[in-house]
Amino acid sequence: MPKQKYAMVMDLNKCLGCQTCTIACKKLWTDRDGTGYMYWNNVETRPGMGYPRQWDRIGGGWRDGQLQPSPLPTMSDYGHAWEFDYEQRLYEGKRKPVMPSPAPQSGVNWDEDVGGMNGEENYFFYLPRICNHCTYPACLEACPRKAIYKREENGIVVIDQDRCQGYRYCVKACPYKKIYYNEVTGKSEKCIFCYPRLEKGEVNACAAQCPGRLRFVGLLDDPESPVHKLVLVHRAALPLFPEKGTQPNVFYVPPFNPPKRGKGDKSILEDPRLPLDYLIYLFGSDVREVIARLESELKKAQAGGRSELLQLLIGRDAEARYRIKPELVQITI
Amino acid sequence: MQSQRLAFLFVTVLVVTGIASSQGGKTPPSQTLDATSLPVPAEALLKDSRIWDQVPAHKVSLNRTPPLYDTDEPASLEIPVLDARVARTGDRVLVQMSWVDATQDSAVLAELPKTPPETRFLKLPTEANDRFFDAAAVMFPEKRGAIAPSLQMGDPEDPVQIYYWSAARGPMVMQAAGRGTTHRSGATFTVRSAYEKGRWTVVFELPELPAGTPLAFAVWNGSQKDRDGRKYFSVWQILK
Repeated sequence: MPKQKYAMVMDLNKCLGCQTCTIACKKLWTDRDGTGYMYWNNVETRPGMGYPRQWDRIGGGWRDGQLQPSPLPTMSDYGHAWEFDYEQRLYEGKRKPVMPSPAPQSGVNWDEDVGGMNGEENYFFYLPRICNHCTYPACLEACPRKAIYKREENGIVVIDQDRCQGYRYCVKACPYKKIYYNEVTGKSEKCIFCYPRLEKGEVNACAAQCPGRLRFVGLLDDPESPVHKLVLVHRAALPLFPEKGTQPNVFYVPPFNPPKRGKGDKSILEDPRLPLDYLIYLFGSDVREVIARLESELKKAQAGGRSELLQLLIGRDAEARYRIKPELVQITI
Repeated sequence: MQSQRLAFLFVTVLVVTGIASSQGGKTPPSQTLDATSLPVPAEALLKDSRIWDQVPAHKVSLNRTPPLYDTDEPASLEIPVLDARVARTGDRVLVQMSWVDATQDSAVLAELPKTPPETRFLKLPTEANDRFFDAAAVMFPEKRGAIAPSLQMGDPEDPVQIYYWSAARGPMVMQAAGRGTTHRSGATFTVRSAYEKGRWTVVFELPELPAGTPLAFAVWNGSQKDRDGRKYFSVWQILK
């Protein structure tokens, strides 16, 4: 068990679905051969297929202390990484428009903004996802090479690229399907929680670039960190699919949109804009309590009171959103 | 998972001791492989498959490793028999492995361009991240004159070398000193492979190995997701 663990909280009420985090991550970490289809950070529309397709339904994780089976997602499940013929267009004088290849038939966030129906009304929201850097990582347990480890000093889960042989037991075991196989290197890769940035006192690239300022980063057990306050003090954030048994260290403030009719006579839970069943599916039954708590804070603020929780969720500046301790992330070899 | 690993070890012990009696924790050899000396250069044996007709084939029984994890899909019950031929030429030993595999799981991976990816518009893509490939390997002790080490990738005191060939990634020399310690040495070797009429024939060029060296073989079938210890393996065969 690590001495301390970094955690992230994402406030889903603020996510614009702009994919700036996705691109920040992509440019920094997965702009290499064999990584085209990989998005260590992705934002998917919910309800929806997700990335890779149906990742939430195909298996992995723990049940009764045993790893659960899962198929390997196919390239079509992830969505092909289209290459665009810029060189022909820009340098070789081809007059045709830039075209993607292979012909688009599936893609990451293919069902963007489709969402679902709540009665006669459409609804959707965005779900940004990174590796959950779980407390009990199924990937770590599944690896016969012992190539995956959870860093003692900060809880970040990483894959030793020297030890990895590309067997992909980890890809199957991860219930969030956040490990990706690179066929060019023959090894698997995943989000490293930007530990080289944390080491310099910089926050994760996905968080730093987020225009919605929805990400909070810090040590879960540091009483001064925003993640500690949001998760453990105000209990306003929940992990995704807690029943998968891995104890994620990425938490979400669930969407608490105003009641559907907006008359003020019903609460969010009584007249939800988003079906509560779907939120329970994602975050477990505690989501009900969390939404009630958030709504009561909202009402307090609307009545002229001061809500420490809502002030915290505004996340005015980097100081409020992040508390990084670079001395904890020194590389130990 | 710990209990699965213990179960794996237990079953493996049963399998190995069922094949050959235990001898101080080592697996004793059960068969011999006669090497045929040929007055031709090694290159000829790599290029011309007809020369191998002069070398008698040994039928080597393969065994299937027991399921490693509950989460694995079951493997085919049909276990191939390996035809192994060994030739000596000059200071080298060449081994031809031939076995039936109804599905050819191979790929030609593109050669990495010399320019770094960040300077290129087009990156080499990953096409089939859920595929596994056919492979074969010959294992022998690193120390010449050593008795047969553990079949599970050698022992700490008796490390092994594994000449491994993958139908996608080609040849690589690996080293190991016990289960879970296998790693690429960075060296490579010469290999020639052919898939014809549902059969793989792969010729390995090994270094000089004295008579008495134990050799063990392994075969992976990519279409049933074989990789790692999920494979067919032989017990030690003594080179004559």
